[in-house]
Amino acid sequence: MAEATAPVQDVNQHVLNAAGEFAVEDEPIDLSIYRFEDWLAFVFFWVLAFTIFYQFFTRYALNDSASWTEEIARYLLICTVYIGAAIGVRKNNHIQVDFFYRVFPKKLMRVASTFVDIARVLFLGYAVWLTWQLIGKIGKQPMSVIDWPIGIVYAVVMFGFALMTFRALGVMRDNWVRGQSLLENPELDGAA
Amino acid sequence: MGASAFKLLFLGLMGSGIPVAIAMAGASLVYVLATGNTPDYVVIHRMVNGIDSFPLLAVPFFIMAGNLMNSAGITNRIYNFALALVGWLRGGLGHVNVIGSVIFAGMSGTAIADAAGLGTIEIKAMQDHGYSTEFSVGVTAASATLGPIIPPSLPFVIYGMFANVSVGALFLAGILPGAVMAFLMMLTVAYYARKNGWGRDVAFTWARTGRALAELAVVVGFPCILWGASELDVNMHWFVPVALALLFISDRVFRFGAVLPIMTPVLLIGGMTTGIFTATEGAIAACVWALILGLIWYRTLSWRMLIKVSMDTIETTSTVLFIVAAASIFGWMLTATRTTEMIAQWVLAFTDQPWMFLLLANALMLFVGCFLEPTAAITILVPILLPIVRHLGIDPVHFGLVMVLNLMIGLLHPPMGLVLFVLARVAKLSVERTTMAILPWLVPLLISLVLVTYIPAISLWLPRQFM
Repeated sequence: MAEATAPVQDVNQHVLNAAGEFAVEDEPIDLSIYRFEDWLAFVFFWVLAFTIFYQFFTRYALNDSASWTEEIARYLLICTVYIGAAIGVRKNNHIQVDFFYRVFPKKLMRVASTFVDIARVLFLGYAVWLTWQLIGKIGKQPMSVIDWPIGIVYAVVMFGFALMTFRALGVMRDNWVRGQSLLENPELDGAA
Repeated sequence: MGASAFKLLFLGLMGSGIPVAIAMAGASLVYVLATGNTPDYVVIHRMVNGIDSFPLLAVPFFIMAGNLMNSAGITNRIYNFALALVGWLRGGLGHVNVIGSVIFAGMSGTAIADAAGLGTIEIKAMQDHGYSTEFSVGVTAASATLGPIIPPSLPFVIYGMFANVSVGALFLAGILPGAVMAFLMMLTVAYYARKNGWGRDVAFTWARTGRALAELAVVVGFPCILWGASELDVNMHWFVPVALALLFISDRVFRFGAVLPIMTPVLLIGGMTTGIFTATEGAIAACVWALILGLIWYRTLSWRMLIKVSMDTIETTSTVLFIVAAASIFGWMLTATRTTEMIAQWVLAFTDQPWMFLLLANALMLFVGCFLEPTAAITILVPILLPIVRHLGIDPVHFGLVMVLNLMIGLLHPPMGLVLFVLARVAKLSVERTTMAILPWLVPLLISLVLVTYIPAISLWLPRQFM
């Protein structure tokens, strides 16, 4: 502990520089870890950001907010979320309760984890089919402000579910080959 | 398939470790298929409509503003400001840790981001100064809970949506409890410093502390001037840009350290309470402000960094909102199976005293918070508890604060606290030792919880002044 009498300079290393100030540097950034769904969601996200900014700008600077922006922004958020959710599937980042994996015996862990892999693929795959059906039912209805079919949004959602299914299959294969999943062993490198 | 089979299926799926969103949507889908009353594609329709909301647009941009402010250039400025302000106290870096978290809480809305991003720097700085790893981890974990209490706050946006409460009122309600918590934590630091006879970490100089106080005065004074001008009917269309230009010029002339970053929450809260902008617009304004600072003014943000920040934002946004999407079909199922009604009757048969209900609710939420991530917990708990809250005449804004605070404490708490695990990894401590390190810090947090729960005025006084 730095005593009251201890000279300040002696204890300033690493994070605090010689002047006794914080001087941290950002770590180098590797962009090659990002895959197709990352970049697709990236595009949706930034179009969304510009749409909202445009609304903000028209309302304050021009005193006349463009009416289409709010609706388009909501749809863009839906697209970002459903495409972005595939990133979470790939990286095993979706919020889950792994408490029981601390108390399960090894054999049961393997069974439960395999069940999770299969159930996830089944749900996501079925969701693709459900969205397809839904597009058949309401896809031709127009959006409320703009005269475009609502099916466009649902098509992106369906593509998102398809990407999630694809990534879930990949995770299942990896877990099968390794004989272990991130649930069983959180130390595994999941960001494949 | 009966209602109880639906609940068992959901709990079983959750326990199996499948993503919470899939557990919610999957159980609902099976129930819909089994009962056959509704076409099964309604599940998808609900899941999409669940996030088709304008207030939710605030979520990605609050996350992004926090991530942008977390880049090194700005963190250094804020820590140096906190160091100048309180670093000369006994146990200085402990106080710096708390004050730094208070300021960051005003820009970011999640506890995990605070713990993972700033926690690393805070713990390292404290270790360099000879503080024990345990003490550093404890104070970092405790102060990370401030993130979602002090506005802006992601859990409040989600709670506001599910409970149908104004997000602005929730944000305002978070300010005083945040101050109470910070004060109690600083008391705890002071207690440790006295007990262990710690000295100051930097020498006290009037020049340094005076400068920090002057910057603080500018931060507080600037919105006061804007408010005064609007009261005097000055044309704000011209006055605001001119005032901002003057602020940036004086930043260059006087070489302010942290005035502009600290101004973020002040402008945000000021703008939202005076009704100049909505939560969503406030979020985008905070992002634009952070981008101007990072890309143009301080030039500490590289384009590569901006891509990384966007990707991090997308990841967090989609995992959080995917749960919100699934929760909207799940909430519907809870009502359809009369689960919420049953729980309400059961609880009301047990007690109709608000204080007793709050006690039970606190116990339940602390328990749930130990196992579930806050967003997921909010989406499940709000539909169940809110009818009882309204029935007993408890203000939903007040209850929102109690709920979020409980869930934040759950993040620190064994067996499943996420902040606990993040900090264990950052500090390279075993989970057991991290738990022991955090344990004493539950004392100030639980005291704040009791105060916030049983003195509604702490949370409700400010929103009542403005709204």
